[in-house]
Amino acid sequence: MAAEVLARSLAEPAVLAADVKLPDIDYLAIAPMLVLFGAACVGVLAAAFVPQRLRYRVQVSLVIGALLVALGLIVTVARAGRAVATAGGAIAIDGPALFLQGSVAVLGVVAVLLIAERSLERGGAFVSRASLTPGSAADRDQAEQPGATEVYPLVSFALAGMMLFVSANDLLTLFVALEVFSLPLYLLCGLARRRRLLSQESAVKYFLLGAFSSAFFLYGVALLYGFAGATGLGALRKAVQAGDGNTTLLFLGLAMLAVGLLFKVAAVPFHVWTPDVYQGAPTPITALMAACTKVAAFGALLRVFTVAFPVGAVDWRPVLVAIAIATMLVGAVLAVTQTDIKRLLAYSSIANAGYVLTGVLALSAAGVAGSLFYLVAYGFVVLAAFGVVTLVRDADGEATHLSRWAGLGRRSPLVAGVFTFLMMAFAGIPLTSGFTSKFAVFSAALGSGQVTLVVVGVLSSAVLAFPYLRVVVLMYLSEPAEDTPTVSLPGTLTAAALAIGVLATALLGVAPAPVLDLAAKAVQFVS
Amino acid sequence: MHPVIPYVLAALLFGIGGYGVLVRRNAVLLLMAVELMLNAVNLVLVTADATIVGLPHSGQVFALFVIVIAAAEIGVGLAIVLQLYRLRRTVATDSIDAGEGTVLPRAEPMPEPGSAQTGPDQVGAR
Amino acid sequence: MILAQTVAAAGPALDAAPALAAAGDVSVGEQVVFWILAPVALGGAIGMVAARNAVHSALFLVTTMFALAVFYVLQAGPFIGMVQIIVYTGAIMMLFLFVLMLVGREASDSLIETLRGQRMAAIGLGIGFALLVASALTRGLGAVSAQGLEEANRGGNVEGIAAVLFTRYIFAFEVTSALLITAAVGAMVLAHVERPKGMKVSQKERSRARFAEGSYPGMKAGPGVFATSDSVATPALLPDGGESDRSISRVVPARGLTSAEAAPKHTER
Repeated sequence: MAAEVLARSLAEPAVLAADVKLPDIDYLAIAPMLVLFGAACVGVLAAAFVPQRLRYRVQVSLVIGALLVALGLIVTVARAGRAVATAGGAIAIDGPALFLQGSVAVLGVVAVLLIAERSLERGGAFVSRASLTPGSAADRDQAEQPGATEVYPLVSFALAGMMLFVSANDLLTLFVALEVFSLPLYLLCGLARRRRLLSQESAVKYFLLGAFSSAFFLYGVALLYGFAGATGLGALRKAVQAGDGNTTLLFLGLAMLAVGLLFKVAAVPFHVWTPDVYQGAPTPITALMAACTKVAAFGALLRVFTVAFPVGAVDWRPVLVAIAIATMLVGAVLAVTQTDIKRLLAYSSIANAGYVLTGVLALSAAGVAGSLFYLVAYGFVVLAAFGVVTLVRDADGEATHLSRWAGLGRRSPLVAGVFTFLMMAFAGIPLTSGFTSKFAVFSAALGSGQVTLVVVGVLSSAVLAFPYLRVVVLMYLSEPAEDTPTVSLPGTLTAAALAIGVLATALLGVAPAPVLDLAAKAVQFVS
Repeated sequence: MHPVIPYVLAALLFGIGGYGVLVRRNAVLLLMAVELMLNAVNLVLVTADATIVGLPHSGQVFALFVIVIAAAEIGVGLAIVLQLYRLRRTVATDSIDAGEGTVLPRAEPMPEPGSAQTGPDQVGAR
Repeated sequence: MILAQTVAAAGPALDAAPALAAAGDVSVGEQVVFWILAPVALGGAIGMVAARNAVHSALFLVTTMFALAVFYVLQAGPFIGMVQIIVYTGAIMMLFLFVLMLVGREASDSLIETLRGQRMAAIGLGIGFALLVASALTRGLGAVSAQGLEEANRGGNVEGIAAVLFTRYIFAFEVTSALLITAAVGAMVLAHVERPKGMKVSQKERSRARFAEGSYPGMKAGPGVFATSDSVATPALLPDGGESDRSISRVVPARGLTSAEAAPKHTER
């Protein structure tokens, strides 16, 4: 007992008040996050001090510039081949962290392009002054005014929080990062220009359920702290391996922690918020959530389960397998019944969470690599798909009801063609990234003997192909109705986002090798 | 004092808070139930601090973080809830129905605050 | 009442806590305080979820928070206990009460179920969860004992917390500022109304408008001044003996008075 106590205190040296020294911080390794946090703070100041007419340009160039600089720094750090746990062991900058941070940065740039679009609708997708009551005279006056520019610092904070979330090596840092990226998203959901009631309701719903789930997450963290006496993931693993702790605390804590994380990835049965929030939020924000939040949440899930709890896998794997199966089936089956394109994409994102979970549950290097690749590939497809959704509009804004999409292929073949390609990628048709990524996770799961998961995954993919194909059929084979919405000409920014998304989808389908290699090299966690 | 007593008390508080979240329909009261859950978490953290030998005070520091973050979260949460109140003149969460069929035609005037109880969206939703 | 109880309990506990923890075993005073306050905390929680009136509910929660603060002090965490009282009950709960007052104190919860069986399901989930976890912990934690923090608290509780906060958790500590900025920006975006330029009238502009061409900066003559009647319909007489239109309310002619009604009455001396 005494020896173990000694070992534990060596692992986590007690800090005496007398000699408090700042731990070594590898500033280059955490520079990407610092750049983004800094840009967000500058953005807040810019929202206050830059004159109204310059604000939009300053903010957009600030966010995109910061993301590109962060991306450059991530590449620099990755080139240097560093894998360190820095800032007192609270942050781990290793292969998976760098890969995921890079993904967040790249997908973030594309999402910001969608967010910054202002030519589709006068003033952009965001309301100018959210405090005005919808329908009031002042509200009608602001219909033509440019959208609030506070959106951009909030997006920067969210993206910086996501980067921290995937590299947090400590349950406390993990929790702080979770809140840092969640709070701006709650706010952003409520800032839509059109259908403001729906948007604000989705913000309330997302916030209440998010706060509820983070309470569970925290309770889990607290119990795990009671179990291990430390919050570091490495220390947790040592405590689990030592096996002398209290298993009641361990299992209860792990279960609660998993609830919190599974809520963020929108796994069944913690998915109920997804369709409503995805539908109500401004479409560019929905795209941001579907692409980047998923990357961040799965990054943290991978790290927590791979670094801290590899030993108890026998105990928690069956539960997560059941959740993955439920997620794939429920997402696919409910997607079939949807009549709104945003809700359809929401349920499809739930099913896709199940596929990524399949890769995670392989619990192997191939599984980690497959999941990483899947997240990037899915992020590009979903960003482009929501980008197309922003284009199909009528007088009331976006026309999201599926019946309104009938005959779209005859009116605007190009946009319908792009959307068809994206739907094929979602369905996993070969030569698209959807096929490569599904292949990567399913083969990894097969390699670890998870046959049930793969069978259910393939079955649910087949089910899920139906709603995608239905949209395609609707677009081409139905007669255009009298009131078929027009397809707006995409502005430069949306066009760029769409081009990036479609090109990446095609490239990752035809020549996935470089990214797959990158993912395969980036599977080594440090702690 | 044996640590099991605070642990059990925290579990009970957390469960009661969870019950509160599930039954309350006033959004402000619902947020208060979440606060109760966070308080239970703090109790666990501080108690755990007294039971372990490793790195002392981590639990208390964690509790400090929880308090600060709860303050920030509640700030945002109450702003969102007040926003809802300005629209609807009610903070009852069961009047929130962002489900299907709630597509609000833009041409139709939104309910003014006074007459919000019978807004077109609610009529459409039920 | 609760406050007095808490302060009374917290006073000696502040001094006694390190000593108690140092002893390592159960002291009678600590035990007694605990057994008194645990039901108080639990009762406050139950009251919070059961009270119909929103303000009562908030006050019940304050009770629970005070009881928990005493527990923290008992468990060698005087600093966190005080933070609990100052920040949680002092700031956060006041924010809640403020919003409750803003949305109307009578905004209490209705007991009508909109979803059939929701309450029973919630009882099953919430209370069932509590009992399940509590019983698991009771059985599982038999062997765990309090180690005491006297070693850690030797240099002072606040110093100990600071030592951890500013070394191991330094980055999380810094990042918390991002959270607070987000909260401030968010509250402002949702609540602040920025008036476009021109809608906001400054004192200077008001003054200019008042002395501008065509407006009379002085006081208007009141109705009945220099007149023989104090009726509001009686116009004031100007020094030259004429009638001042500006001294009668514009509403009076608009109401459609007959010229006989509106005419000076000359009824009183």
